[in-house]
Amino acid sequence: MTVPCSSAAPVQQKTALVVASGTDIDELLRSVLASDGWSIHHAVDNQHALALATTDPFDLIVTGRKMLGPDDVELLRKIRSARAHVRLIILTDRFTPGDVISAIREGAFSYFSAPFDASELAEMVRAAMTSPCWDDGIEVMSATPAWVRLAARCDISTADRLVQFLRGVRDPEIPEGIIYAFKEVLLNAIEYGGNFDPSQHVEISFIRARRAVACRVKDPGQGFSLEELRHAAIDSPADDLLSHVAVREAQGLRPGGFGLLLAKKLVDELIYSEQGNEVLLVKYVDPAISQGA
Amino acid sequence: MGLQVSIRKSGDVTILDLRGKSTIDDGESELLDSHLQKLVASGARKLLLNLADLTQVDSSGLSVIVGTCVSLRRQGGDLRVLRPSGLVLEVFRVVRLLEAIPSFEDEAQALASFGSRGYVASSS
Repeated sequence: MTVPCSSAAPVQQKTALVVASGTDIDELLRSVLASDGWSIHHAVDNQHALALATTDPFDLIVTGRKMLGPDDVELLRKIRSARAHVRLIILTDRFTPGDVISAIREGAFSYFSAPFDASELAEMVRAAMTSPCWDDGIEVMSATPAWVRLAARCDISTADRLVQFLRGVRDPEIPEGIIYAFKEVLLNAIEYGGNFDPSQHVEISFIRARRAVACRVKDPGQGFSLEELRHAAIDSPADDLLSHVAVREAQGLRPGGFGLLLAKKLVDELIYSEQGNEVLLVKYVDPAISQGA
Repeated sequence: MGLQVSIRKSGDVTILDLRGKSTIDDGESELLDSHLQKLVASGARKLLLNLADLTQVDSSGLSVIVGTCVSLRRQGGDLRVLRPSGLVLEVFRVVRLLEAIPSFEDEAQALASFGSRGYVASSS
């Protein structure tokens, strides 16, 4: 994946199509979209949405929660075959983890599975309304139920989308802690390894084993030595937890340094490669292992 | 929701009521940093962050809070937190920040810990 960023122009025509989800979600979407002056059209179901989308060039489509996940992906495929850069956010009550992967492959902007977090949904809609380029941001390199390999562009918006896709899987054995840890490591990779350069990509693998979930993140940078981390909280002595702040100031670094420490504490194992540009997060789902029994 | 910050005063303590999240996502932590830096620049030395309605914090939010705390202590002031809960409390716990930054469940006790005297004014 070397294409730096879609050449699609920033959104000019502010027109959204919302498939009915029910009063609460419909009202939330209306308030978010209307607050930025978007014109809103409504469809009763996916068939209606497809009919409308074939005649009107919508910039953003939000599916209805009552539709099945695979049906939403099919809608996405049909619409994007005619209008490649449309942003489509899938909302669904009924789905499988495979549907989420299919949605990424087909170029969904985001994926929300019930129960919905209204504030997260509102923020993702706002991101869809403003992202100038997005549709080459995440690429599925390979996927089986146990092992998914992705490449993600080095920008924060793409990181947010990827984290939401992971949350959309709703796997009860992927605890929020590893998602938090993944996000911290991913942001480190994007900032320090990729320098927020949208022409660069981070490689990611999610591995679902019988007794553990693991996540590997490889950034495009030169790596670093773990011995040189005095500017990070992970290296602060136990009796002076904030000592890294002065080190960062002396080195002219912005406030920070908690990402690695937070990630390490939220998983069972955090392992770096020798070069320092690959990290592996492991969370045991077998309580006997995580307790060291 | 992003981050909403309301500012009020109680004696010489400035209280920031935070609602939403302080993460890097849409610049919320940057917004918090901006508020805190303005307050410190204008002479505030005793800051109490009310985290009761803060739903998320990531490393960027922690860094802003810690950076301000260290800066204030160098100037003879301090920063304390009020009612962290849920994911925010979990994050504070796992990085052992509660050992470095005093946390309170009761606002009156938090104010008293600064040695402030009485409720003087309120603003937003």
